[in-house]
Amino acid sequence: MRALALNALTRLVPVGLITLSIHRVLFARHEVLDVKLQLVLALVVAAGTTAGADKGAIAGFVLGLLYDIAGNTPLGMTALAYGMAGMTAGYVQGLTPDPQWWLASIFATLGAAVGEAGVPLLELMTGRVDGLDPRLAWTVSVVAVSCGLACTPLMPIGRWAVGVRRKKWKVITE
Amino acid sequence: MFSSLSRRRIIVLVVLTCLLLITLDERGNRAIDGLRSAVGAVLHPIDTATRAITLPVERVWSATMHYDDLRRENEALRDQLEHMKGNDIEARSAILEYKELLALNNLAARFSYPTLPAAVVGESPSNYQNTVEINVGSRQGVRVGMPVTDGAGLIGRITRVYATRSIVLLITDPEFAIPARVLSTDEEVAVPTATTDASTGTTTPSGATASDLTSTTTSTTTTTTIPGLTGATSTTTPATVPPSDTTTTTTVEGSPTVTTTPTEVVRETGTLEGQGADKPLLLRFIDSLTAVTSIRVGAVVDTAGGILGNAPQGIPIGVISRITPGTGTRGAIVEVTPNAVLRRLNFVAVVMYVPGADGSLP
Repeated sequence: MRALALNALTRLVPVGLITLSIHRVLFARHEVLDVKLQLVLALVVAAGTTAGADKGAIAGFVLGLLYDIAGNTPLGMTALAYGMAGMTAGYVQGLTPDPQWWLASIFATLGAAVGEAGVPLLELMTGRVDGLDPRLAWTVSVVAVSCGLACTPLMPIGRWAVGVRRKKWKVITE
Repeated sequence: MFSSLSRRRIIVLVVLTCLLLITLDERGNRAIDGLRSAVGAVLHPIDTATRAITLPVERVWSATMHYDDLRRENEALRDQLEHMKGNDIEARSAILEYKELLALNNLAARFSYPTLPAAVVGESPSNYQNTVEINVGSRQGVRVGMPVTDGAGLIGRITRVYATRSIVLLITDPEFAIPARVLSTDEEVAVPTATTDASTGTTTPSGATASDLTSTTTSTTTTTTIPGLTGATSTTTPATVPPSDTTTTTTVEGSPTVTTTPTEVVRETGTLEGQGADKPLLLRFIDSLTAVTSIRVGAVVDTAGGILGNAPQGIPIGVISRITPGTGTRGAIVEVTPNAVLRRLNFVAVVMYVPGADGSLP
């Protein structure tokens, strides 16, 4: 637990703050297809696909907390949604220890869909809104696909942020 | 790193922590507010640096993607400006008359609270929150609940205040609701014709005798046609005080009869709610059946004020853009298009008004 907290403080939080800042300054101001692309969520799913479900959940929780603190969402709401996103994306590690980029992208897309849809669903469950946004499906689709595409280039950052090393395979020769 | 915790335990721990934090934050917690303030202070210099670094990229993006849109918008705005010049002169004249009337009747102006200018420094990072961040906070006297306007009208209210910044919940957010008032002129309603006694200059509506009229009247729109004088028509439109009677006093010398057609100003009060970004606002009435029959598309909507309101009376909000009559048990739907363009907010003004029991400044 101590290593977990230390890693979160020394790596995830600084990376999260910089990513969040880029998101607030650039991505929140310029919509693509009428949707704000989610850079922080992309980093969460990238960390999940490269580090597994448990570490993905932790990365999603920490980065989601930062998102909640900096935004106007109730503290813990985005953290929960992004935690689920990181966990979903991380299940790819259960299939294969070193997934191909396209397989990682597919799981990242699924994880991002969970994370993006999670916030409005939680708002609905907590009674903050009366109904779901009719554009929810479109928004989730665009965000999920963009996160899936951004996953591969963000994987090295995600890997470093959660403190795992890239797997190296050795050929055993007799 | 996670060897001591199984995957299931980690996930359960994350979920429980999140639920606990949501509960604490929803109930209001000073520690969380302090944390938000601290992170905001940390993020501010990072944001400034990021903005400086990404500005060239942003400009290239805008120039590439929005050039044609901006040119079209520029042309449209020039046309609009020409039209507005004419409207501006009329509006100034109306405001002067309005102030004269207020002074004559010893009434205070409806909206005379000081404002604090602010710049929009950030937008909501989420697709589901309609908020903006402004660069004034508690140090400048900003408090939760204060209304925020731009040059065109109400844009929202303050929901969170930190030392040097505040979060504004926009009027389009589904969580936003405010008492609002509709001012509508019912021009198509047949109004009884009035006649004027030339000797006294007093106008008497049909169906009423002169003895029934005991006080000075406050008709809002009066069109006076003087027979014998071709084209001699005078029109006055204060449009702020409802006509308590349908009597008009005119003084036309040498005219035997004056036909007066007073137009009633209909006032309906309801609750205005947001429906999400880029969607019109929704106006709900307590008695929607009666209210909807008396208002029409194009009517002006402003804040109603009052004890329950978060804004003083008279801040313009928008105009009614569509009225869909109710069917069955479903009430009528009244949509309001806000005056303010919420997607492009740069500078705003915080109205230094805190709703209190007496509706005045504390």
